[in-house]
Amino acid sequence: MTHDASSGDPLSGFDLVAAGPQRSREGPETAARHHDVPPGNPTVTALRKQFPDAVFHNLICAGDEDVVYVDPGRITEILGWLHREADQHYDHLADVTAVDYGGGKPLEVVYQLWSIPHRAALRVKCELPLDALEIETATGIWAGANWLEREVYDLFGIHFTGHPDPRRILMPENYAEGHPLRKDFPLRGRFSRAEQTRRALTQNPEDYYAAGEIAGRVPQTVEVDGGDATGEEGGGDVL
Amino acid sequence: MGLDKPGILGTGSPAFLTTRLDFVVNWARRNSLWPMPFGTACCAIEMMASAASNFDLARFGMERMSFSPRQADVLICAGRVPYKLAPVLRRIWDQMMQPKWCISMGACASSGGVFDVYSMVQGIDTIVPVDVYIPGCPPRPEGLIYGLMMVQEKIRGESLANHAALRAEDPLAAGRPRAGNEEVTDLTGPFGNSTHQNRVSGLVETDAIGRAEDRLP
Repeated sequence: MTHDASSGDPLSGFDLVAAGPQRSREGPETAARHHDVPPGNPTVTALRKQFPDAVFHNLICAGDEDVVYVDPGRITEILGWLHREADQHYDHLADVTAVDYGGGKPLEVVYQLWSIPHRAALRVKCELPLDALEIETATGIWAGANWLEREVYDLFGIHFTGHPDPRRILMPENYAEGHPLRKDFPLRGRFSRAEQTRRALTQNPEDYYAAGEIAGRVPQTVEVDGGDATGEEGGGDVL
Repeated sequence: MGLDKPGILGTGSPAFLTTRLDFVVNWARRNSLWPMPFGTACCAIEMMASAASNFDLARFGMERMSFSPRQADVLICAGRVPYKLAPVLRRIWDQMMQPKWCISMGACASSGGVFDVYSMVQGIDTIVPVDVYIPGCPPRPEGLIYGLMMVQEKIRGESLANHAALRAEDPLAAGRPRAGNEEVTDLTGPFGNSTHQNRVSGLVETDAIGRAEDRLP
């Protein structure tokens, strides 16, 4: 089922779902041909106005979900604007994930945003070619992006520049077989089962934690105001 | 002089019994098996049901789930074990004191189950020695109780004469795989629907689902 781009009538979201994932490496001006739907989402309109050359195209997915494809080079700028701007205020980063469509197609990084005050959702996608899997981190905008980006790095091998803790999060620290959710990854892994078992038992579970996470298991101290009755003078009586 | 004190069969009977040491040791061991629950998935739900009032595992001597491996006698591995958890399972097994037994509960713990993938241990018997495998996905509580009673039967057949041979552990084997490389390969070979997966480390071809009559119409 393919859509005739010359017919002129707008695609519904269901048509786009049936048509499957769309390639969009054509660039900003050509990509804007037939993927574009009448922009009903005010955020998409404002985003296009603010970043005319960084927003490649947008579409509506599954009926009512707005998806915006943007320039990966300016991702923190765009996400920061969406977070900061009072009319947008996407203050909740619901998910960061990635999609590999296989066949040498670029990997898509997906940011699922939610604005709590405006009750609006937006999906921002970036396409990264397989030979340049690098994008700037969003941890400076949402602290919660930390572990989500670690997961994307672990399973897809996408590097987030500037990430404060770029380690694996799900697979073992000493995992050397690659990034399992990539389409070119064999289902049973690259090593033999014997080698996988041997390697698994050489890991030390304590290594998963940073030193501070284990050593820091002390009760939290509570700051007490010095001027209170529980100050130095009263403390002597108790002792 | 104590002669008027009653024995266990009444006045005049001796206040002691003779028995075989093996019998009384095994009797004590098998009737107070404390499980170390290593529940990682849905099998653990059935294990909890076994311990709850309807099935009441305590009737058979499993009076208390021992959440410390130091006081546990039988390790019940209930659920799938990923490779990241394998050293934890091995360490818990190493921390348990002899005599100890191990039950592999359910398809995933016994063979990896449907999870014939990169991240999953294909049977915990590559990691720790297993005494009883319980099939099922998950097994019903009756299955777990039957498995524990099989462990009890196994204990009944043990003897202090071969205790050292049965129970000796090499300290150097702690934290290492139980099975050697060839055995792991044998134990973890693809089966069922996984036969046609392309595996870089060596494609294994069988005709398990290559036959036309196996295909659904």
